[in-house]
Amino acid sequence: MSIPKPGPTPVPMSKPFWSATAQGQLVVQRCQGCGTHQHYPRVVCRHCWLTELDWVTCSGDGRVWTYTVVHRPGHPAWEPEVPYVLALVELDEGPRLMTNIVNIAPAEMRVGLAVRAVFDDTADTSLVHFAPVDRPLPTP
Amino acid sequence: MGSNGIRDRVAIVGMGCTPFTEHWRKSTDDLVLEASTAAATSAGLGYAELDAFWLGTLDSGVSGLTLSKPLKLDYKPVSRLENMCATGSDAFRNACYAVASGAFDTAMAIGVEKLKDSGISGLATGGGGGDGTAAELSAPAMFSLLSPAYAHKYGVAEPELKEVLTRIAWKNHKNGALNPLAQFRKEVPKETIANSPRVAGALGVFDCSGVADGAAAAIIVRAEDAYEYTDQPLFVKALSLTAGPATGASDPGYDYTSFPEVVHCATDAYQQAGIRDPREQLGLAEVHDCFTPTELVLMEDLGFAERGLAWKDVLAGAFDLDGVLPVNPDGGLKSFGHPIGASGLRMLFECWLQLRGQADQRQIDNGRDLALTHNLGGQPGACVSFISVVGTTRD
Repeated sequence: MSIPKPGPTPVPMSKPFWSATAQGQLVVQRCQGCGTHQHYPRVVCRHCWLTELDWVTCSGDGRVWTYTVVHRPGHPAWEPEVPYVLALVELDEGPRLMTNIVNIAPAEMRVGLAVRAVFDDTADTSLVHFAPVDRPLPTP
Repeated sequence: MGSNGIRDRVAIVGMGCTPFTEHWRKSTDDLVLEASTAAATSAGLGYAELDAFWLGTLDSGVSGLTLSKPLKLDYKPVSRLENMCATGSDAFRNACYAVASGAFDTAMAIGVEKLKDSGISGLATGGGGGDGTAAELSAPAMFSLLSPAYAHKYGVAEPELKEVLTRIAWKNHKNGALNPLAQFRKEVPKETIANSPRVAGALGVFDCSGVADGAAAAIIVRAEDAYEYTDQPLFVKALSLTAGPATGASDPGYDYTSFPEVVHCATDAYQQAGIRDPREQLGLAEVHDCFTPTELVLMEDLGFAERGLAWKDVLAGAFDLDGVLPVNPDGGLKSFGHPIGASGLRMLFECWLQLRGQADQRQIDNGRDLALTHNLGGQPGACVSFISVVGTTRD
């Protein structure tokens, strides 16, 4: 029997993020005052502490800042998938996400790799992953 | 603004450390009793003569009762504190300040951790779920993020960097082989280290510190009273603690090739201790080698190597037991093992042995009388850093 993967449990603060992924959109917060983008979702701007924040749609483009390859998952549900790639992706808008890089072999990973958001609808909550921009998107 | 320092105001006059290993037959009570008794005895004191106590443990108990009950410290002041993997060091720091303030004549700092029969045989890691918008990684995966970023920034080919990491583990195992208290007391061939089962990224099993149980303790008194307790006290030259912004994984600006927390901490500690060139002035350093890339990066953050060049120094043996600045002569977290709350005081215990000429087979004899401990809590991008400098003479 396979172990189900625990999915995210959206809270009021992050609900807009997960509602957007269900629509195939990557959204982050942007400060109405200074224009700074931020992610994870917070109640105040990380730069000027203003509480007036909008949700804006990102281009979905970013670059790999650094990465790792998981050989020993922290939860048994991911055991069948090892080794898989996790990377810290810096979005063109500025914020960073820790995310799966799909459609790439671990040995092909490089710092600076250009990646684009793709959405995994197979889970209960649509998850955002990233794939190299110069690759055709993985087939669902 | 900043710190006024604590140079030469307090001294360590007794220390004790249990073996770090899988103590299946010893409880937390047994371990704190063993370390406390050894430390008090080496200072020629009984518990009744100790005025205040600071216990550091991440997860092996809450409140001062975790120490007061097994030691029967009825009605004494006993605090328990936690500061991630820097927990033991922070217990030491608080005990030093208590004595320096004049509030107490004598204090004990003790750290303990019992990981092996906690139900999970180690530290709990995130199990998924939650809000889902924050990064959640295992500890080796968090620290493995340093390797690609470092290799990329300084133009080191990844296979070459792997060789550097392997050499760090090889060196710390070699040192641990000379240490009767260490968890792993065998030299390990480089090929075995390099080919060990992968855990995360470039890191194999042998790039990770040992999961162990253990305890270590120190007795602190006013510097002017030190020689009443021992002929060979260690004077505290610097104590520094920094907590970072903890936003590296989410906000831009942190580059994953350094711990800015450590850089700030080192600046403060060296200023307190009057150190201008740590590589030339320190006799040894005990640093937080939780994973091999951590030790590499720390060599630069602590000023032991030039930025971007530590990997060359590692390959050249600069930090070996007979190198220009021996690092982790006791085997480090890598082979001494890492019972979280005890590790910071274990580092200090090696300084205690080395500077007093009691380190037997691994005794360093470079004529220098200062030693440094560096203890890190957290992960790259979100950590606390602690540094102490101790020395044999009072200026």
